[in-house]
Formats: sequence, structure tokens, C-alpha cells
Amino acid sequence: MTRTKRGRGMAASWYGIARTATIDRAGAWAELDDGGTAKIVTGVTEIGEGILTVLAQVAADELGIRPEDVTIGDNDTARSPEAAHAGATRQTYMIGNSVALASREARNVLFEQIADHWEVEADQLRAFNGEIWALETNLRISMSDAVAICKGRGVVPLGSASFTAHGTGLDPVDGRGAPWQAYVFGTQVAEVEVDTYTGEVQVLGIWAAHDVGRAINPRGVEGQIEGGVVQGLGQALMEEYITVDGHTTTHGFAKYILPTSLDVPQINCVIVEDPDPESPLQAKGIGEPALVPTAPAIMNAIYDAIGVRIKSLPATPEKILKALREHSSDRQMIANANREERARLHERSAT
Amino acid sequence: MPKMKLEMEVNNRKVVKETDTHKRLIDFLREDLNLTGTKEGCGAGECGTCSVFVDGKLVKSCLMPAAKANGAKIETIEGLAKPGELTPVQKAFHKTGASQCGYCIPGMVMAATACLRENPKAGIEEIKERLGGNICRCTGYTKIFEAVEIARSVVAGEAPAGVLDEDEPLGESYIGHNVRRLDAPSKVTGRLKYAADMKLPDMLQMQVLRSPHAHARIVSIDTSEAEAMDGVACVITADDVPGKDGFGVFVHDQPIMARGKVRHVGEAVAAVAAEDLVTARRALSKIKVEYEVLPGLFDAEEALKPGAPVIHDYAPGNVVKHIPVRKGDVEKGFAEADLILEDDFSTQQVEHAYLEPEAGVAYVDADDVVTVISPSQNITHHRHMLADIIAKPINKVRFIMSPVGGGFGGKEDMIYQGMLALAAMKTHRPVQLNFTREESLIASAKRHPSRVHYRMGLKRDGRITAVEFSMLSDGGAYGMSSEGVMRKAAILSCGPYEIENLKVDTRAVYTNNTPSGAFRTFGGMQAQFATESMMDMAAEALDLDPFEIRRINMMKIGSLTHTQQALKTASLDRVLDAAEKASRWEKGAPKVRGATRQDLDGPDTRKSCTLGARIAAEVSGAEKGQRSGASEKTKDSERVA
Ligand code: FES
Ligand code: FES
Repeated sequence: MTRTKRGRGMAASWYGIARTATIDRAGAWAELDDGGTAKIVTGVTEIGEGILTVLAQVAADELGIRPEDVTIGDNDTARSPEAAHAGATRQTYMIGNSVALASREARNVLFEQIADHWEVEADQLRAFNGEIWALETNLRISMSDAVAICKGRGVVPLGSASFTAHGTGLDPVDGRGAPWQAYVFGTQVAEVEVDTYTGEVQVLGIWAAHDVGRAINPRGVEGQIEGGVVQGLGQALMEEYITVDGHTTTHGFAKYILPTSLDVPQINCVIVEDPDPESPLQAKGIGEPALVPTAPAIMNAIYDAIGVRIKSLPATPEKILKALREHSSDRQMIANANREERARLHERSAT
Repeated sequence: MPKMKLEMEVNNRKVVKETDTHKRLIDFLREDLNLTGTKEGCGAGECGTCSVFVDGKLVKSCLMPAAKANGAKIETIEGLAKPGELTPVQKAFHKTGASQCGYCIPGMVMAATACLRENPKAGIEEIKERLGGNICRCTGYTKIFEAVEIARSVVAGEAPAGVLDEDEPLGESYIGHNVRRLDAPSKVTGRLKYAADMKLPDMLQMQVLRSPHAHARIVSIDTSEAEAMDGVACVITADDVPGKDGFGVFVHDQPIMARGKVRHVGEAVAAVAAEDLVTARRALSKIKVEYEVLPGLFDAEEALKPGAPVIHDYAPGNVVKHIPVRKGDVEKGFAEADLILEDDFSTQQVEHAYLEPEAGVAYVDADDVVTVISPSQNITHHRHMLADIIAKPINKVRFIMSPVGGGFGGKEDMIYQGMLALAAMKTHRPVQLNFTREESLIASAKRHPSRVHYRMGLKRDGRITAVEFSMLSDGGAYGMSSEGVMRKAAILSCGPYEIENLKVDTRAVYTNNTPSGAFRTFGGMQAQFATESMMDMAAEALDLDPFEIRRINMMKIGSLTHTQQALKTASLDRVLDAAEKASRWEKGAPKVRGATRQDLDGPDTRKSCTLGARIAAEVSGAEKGQRSGASEKTKDSERVA
């Protein structure tokens, strides 16, 4: 018997976007500012996922300027419109769409003024990357000049918007309800190597395919998947907050073991885009869904490698070794059970 | 406090300062020199966020007494590049998107810099080893490796410096374009101020007295001696709450500080605001609390038994929330099944382990607005709750969200902002509270540990005819997000499969364990771990490929979900195809076929670490004060073997 054994497993998953089984809402203000820059104010703060960059991209795209020209105001209940919480895989969906709508409104104010100034129709106007032009004409100026013209005509290009996601509550008896308007799906494959002497499991590869609706920043999406996978790996193999009679025995990172650089598999991301029909941006989300299938994919891979099914997380070396010790008799039992099962199936098909 | 005079060269400038003798190098840098790019993630040498160079050697500044660095040459994250510039390592982190919350990033940049200074040609294995003492909870390390490899190629002269500035060409839209993270430059240089990095004039430091008992009645609290101490500005307890005490994401069952009884170890009982941290800590030891210990409840199943201790009077059966989902007729579904599988699954309690421990600042402004700055994930809801608690109109309460050094759901609970507000109101001075790692671990919510009993009926062709799913979760001492977590777990329970007949129940109960709350996936992970294990067990029994059995049952457009919502879109078919193709999956039933598979060990996997290499890594890591989860596990397993 070779000491190390390899195997592969997979798991699928699904997830809902934004707050669950309730209506969700987010507001934003937008202003096209001097120099062709913009101010966006909304109740959002980066929790690490890259939302500020996503919002700057969204605003820039709607306003016809560059992301680095967008200033996003601080999240402050006294100074910015409500956009509620940073969680529930809702920031790109809820705040992204409200910023898109607010920016669109500010741009339309500008377009109206410039169309009038140029004596063209507003729907002939396009703006991108710091320039504005009118289709089928030679008219083209910088967004900086356009804002100056607009303001010279006495108008500040402003917009505001509120975006709603229509989740409904669950029936208290049978749970019937439409908790989300957008769903995402994911599938991951894991490849593991199990050391049958030490019980140690290494995850060597993860293939993670996730639907995100529309990837606003693909690199950011990958970052979320990679982070989610490694948190999932931690939960699968090593992390455990332990209490004894309510007192923790894992009171620091020396006892509470986290994945480090040496534990990380090669993570191969596949971004699938199934656009959301219910929202202007068509994007959905990835923050939470990324880690849902990781642990079951790893457990299924461990089974493939050594024929031991871990049903109680985490799959520590101790658990693996214990299961391996019971393995041979176990295997015998499984084989017998399978044979009986097949016999039963056969009987049924015969009757 | 005894003082000492320190002389050092810090970031090429001579520094001469008088400071307290007890200070560690990290304190001296952060408090005396305002070099807050050096972060304190653990204070115990285990996370690497505090890494600096001392005489050219990478050290963890939380482990070094400041006095020991006297006369040394110190380099911190702020000193790597001139203001406005970035080093190749910092540029590479910016380019690849290697920073997310950013809290680990100064330490990571220091470790990566050390790696390339010592070996400008370091390969990926060496890079991984040298970063082994630095924890990142956000990125999964992958983009960090990519950044260090790019920086290496530039430093080693294998690639022109220009690659660090190159980006892919812009197409017709910024949507779908890999715009570099706008917040990265402030994170890779350590310039971004998190709540613990903020300083306001005249600011007090808060410390919290926490319960040593899991379940006890508070007979009395005597704060008089602490209050009389020099340097103590105020002591607060539940008695200082002017309004209706109670917070929680769903049910408001948790007081700002323990009221009448404590329900878990680490629960806040009283807090002190003082001129400095040391005085605040000393004052804690002068607070006298008399407890009458009550029988504790530490197991979710025990919680449901008649006669179990009652944790909250409003919930005599200890149930926080039960969510039922019913569809079709399960009895009929099982009767139609050719195969019935039944099993149990469990998941453990998990810590968020964001690298930034909880921190915050509160003050009362000139308009009498009580203002709290903290990395809260839900300032809107916190404002509503705090207004009731301190009996103020809602526009007299202001929450400002500071940059969040990792949250993952763990910063949705208002577990300390109320204490800060009360102390600011009582003193009319700014007050700051920074948790230690140990405090964060015992006082903040965790992922719900869960037990699932599962029954699945299938036809011979792989179609699921019925599922019975019952989950019991330990919610711990307070409700926090338990209700929502149970709801999401129930909705997602049986996975992305259209199942005609199902009976799902999820329950969370109160115990005297550390509370469980929101954690990335909000119950979805625990539920689907069970479902996806069952799917493979069913596939084995029915001799089906795991992708195949999922395709047979998958939700499609128009499918009715478990809560009987008709889906307008569904992409499971495409993600299954994508994962199968990308992984070059070899078809076959999951019957322990690892030994014969032909799709293993491809170019898209990493090399396995050999045990020897890992022990070597651990030894050299130990020399450097480093540690890795992998080698820790190896030790454990050897003990067992
Ligand atoms: S704070 Fe120094 S190693 Fe964590
Ligand atoms: S970016 Fe590393 S801990 Fe957040």
C-alpha cells in the first residue's frame, strides 16, 4: 500500500443575493463635479471585497469618466444616504445598482444641457473615459468642459436613486415564499492527497466555477473566490473553536489553527456570467457563495482517495487516522451493504 | 509609570524619546511615533501583522520589548518607499489585487520584502515558506504569491520594471475591466487608518471587565474603588443605560453589559475609561463583582430537554428560532423511493479570525450628537438600536464606519459600541476601545456549530423523491443572527435540486457557549455540506457519476425552489459544465477510485509538500518565530500515530 493516496471530489451549491426573505433597499447620491470628476455618496465601506473600486467602475461607466476620477464619500449615518449593511452578498447588487441609477440620473441632467447647447438630441450623446460626443456629428469635448458648460448654464448635474430588491417573507407554517430575486450557483472540484501514516490531508487543486451574473472586476471576483475557498479549506480540515463548559481552549492563533501560505491549493477560477434580468447592472454577487461547496468537495475527495467518509468537520489528522483504522472492516460493511442494496433494487425492478 | 529614554534610527531618521519601560516595540512605534502601519493582529507572535526590520532582520515587533531595540536601526512599512512612491513589492501587490481588507498587508509586504532582500531569485516554494508566518484571512494568499513572483522577476532583473505599471488595455466599458483597486496604495504603504489607529485629542482608553463564568447571577457590583483611582474618568455598568437596553440583529436580547446575570464566559460586565491603558487595566482589578454561579448549559440537544437550565426568561424552552419548510408529501415521496439513505452530519464552531480585532472610538460632538466610529458591518441598524438604548432621537446618534480589517459577518453585532457611547456621554471626552485577540475570540460571535439529520429517498435513475432534513444549531448565549441563519439554512438546505417532497426544519437554541452569529454563508455552508455529502453517497449507491446525479436533479428555469418560488434564471447547468471541463474530470461513480484515476496531478495543481520538507519548513519557521497550520497539524498527527 502506498503511503499517500490521492483523490478527487466535487460539490455543487446555490445561494441568494441580498437580504433574505425581506425587502432590501439601498440609496445613493451622485454629482458630476468640476474637472470631469464625480462625487458618489452612499452608505458603504470597503470590508475588503473591493466594493469601492466596483462602485467607482460603475459610476465611471455611467458618467463617462474614469474610475480614478470618482470620489466615494465615507459611510456615515449623518452624512450619507442609507445603504444598510455590508454583508449578505448584497453590496455589488444593492449599492452597485443604486449608484448606477443615481449616476445615470446625473448624466442625463448633463446630457440635456449639452444637447441643448449643441442643438442635437440628447439620445445622440455618448460619454466614456472622460469624453463626451454626439453621434453622427464632429462634436466632441472633454467631460471637464462639458461640466463647465452645464454649470455655466446654471445647472449642477446631480442624481439620486434608491434600488429595491423584492424578497418576500416565508410562510410560518410551510415556509412558502420568494426570499430573493436573484440566485447564484456554483460548483467546485477538489483534488487531495492523504498521508495515510499521519492522517494529514493536503488540498492540491481546486477548480471553482461560479455564476456571478456579470463580473464587474474579474480580478476582484477571483480574489473573492480564492479567499472563500481557503476559508472553506480551513473549516474543512483544521479550524475549530473549542469550549469546555463554556471556557474556550482555543484562545489565540497558537491554538486556533488557520490556513497559511503552505496550505493553499492551486485555485483555478472559472467565472460564469448569467446576467440578472431584474437589475440594471445585471451583476449578482460572489462574497459568500464562494466558500459553500469547498468543504463538501474536499470531503468527497478524501472519500475518493481512502474510502473514508468524514461526516463531522473538521477532518483533522486524528479523525482521518481513526477512520482509517476502522477502514478495512468498514469497507467490508459498505461493500456488503451495497451488494444488498443492489439486490433490493434488482428485486424491485423485477416486481 | 517608570520611564526610559530610547534612541533609535527609525526609517532613516534619528529618534530620541522618553517612554514607559513596559512598552513593546510595536507600542513605541504606534503610540509614540504614530507609525500605525505596523498592526497588532494578535500580540503573540502568531500573525505577522506587526512585522518590521530591526537592524535589517525581519522581526515581530509585538514580541520585542522596546528597550531591546534601543540603538537599533528600524525600518517600518512607512519607510520602505518615499511618500507618494511605491517599492516594486508594493506596486506588485497593487497590480495583482493582493490586498483586500488590507490589515495583514503591511506585514505581508514586509515579509515579501525580506524574502526578496535575502534571496532576489526566490522561487514559489521559498516564497510560500517565507510568508508562512503571516496570516491573511481574506485573499486565500493566491494573489499575494502572484504579486511576490512578479516583484521577484523585476528585482532579479528577469522582467523590466515596466511590467509593474502595465495593465490590460481598456475596452469599451469599465464594466468587466480589471481596474486596479483604488484603495490598494493606502493599504500597501500602511497609510490607511483603521479604528485602532485613530487618535483624538484628550482621548480616554477603555478596558472591559468580562465574566469568568458561563452562567451566573450577578449579586452585586462595587465600582467605588476603581472610580476613586487617579486617572480613571468613569466606570460604567448596566445601571448607566438610560434607555431600553438590548441589541441583536433579530431579537434584542443582549444588554450592552450584563444585566442581572451573565450568560457566557467573556460577556462584558463593566467597563473603565481612563487616561491610559495601564490605568484602565489596573482599575478593572479593583471592581468587585459578586456572582452566584448557576448550572450551565453547554450542549444544543441538552437545551431542548425538559428541566434544562433556562438561559433567557422570554424563551423558556431555550429555542431561539425554528424555521419549517414543507413541500409536497414526504411520506409519499419516500414510499416511491427505490433507495433511502439516512445519515448524520455535524460542523464545528468556527472563528471569523479577521486580522483586525474589534476597535472603536466614540465622542459627543458640539451638537450633542453621540458619535461612534467603528468597523461595524451595519451602522444603519446599530444607529437605530443605540438610539433606543441611550434614549435619544435618532438624529442625535451617528455611526461612522471605519475601514474594516475583515468582517465576514463577525462585525455585524453591536457588542462594544454601546459601552463606548455610554462612556463618552458620561465623560464628554473621546473614548477608544481596542480589543486584544483573546478578547475578540471570547466575546465575538462564531459560525454556528450544527448537527443535521438527513433522510433522502431516490429512484433507481437518480431522481430524488423526498428529503427530510433536520438541523440543530447551537446559538450560544445570545440570539444575534441565529434567526436569520436558521432561515437561510432552511431555504438553501436541500441544495440546488428540485425536490418535490420535502420536510425541512432548522432550529437554533440558547446555551451558555460563546454566541454564534453571522458568518459568511449564514448557515448555507453547514446545510449544503450535508446535502453534498449525501449526493455523493447516493451517487455511489446508484452507480452514477457525481456530476450526473446532480444534473438529473438540478434546478432549471421555472423550477420550484424548496420554498416554492419559480426560478426566472438558473445557471447550475453551466457551472457544472464549467467545473467538469476545467478540472478535466474523469467520469465515473464515486467508488473510491482515486488509485485508478487518470485526471490527477495536472499542471493546474500544486506540488504536494513532502513531510520532510514540511518539518524542515517548521524548524526554519520556528527559528524565525514563524508557524504554519500545516506543520502544526503534522505535529498533532505524529502524536496520535
Ligand atoms: S501582532 Fe505580532 S505577530 Fe501578531
Ligand atoms: S487582506 Fe489579508 S487579512 Fe484582509
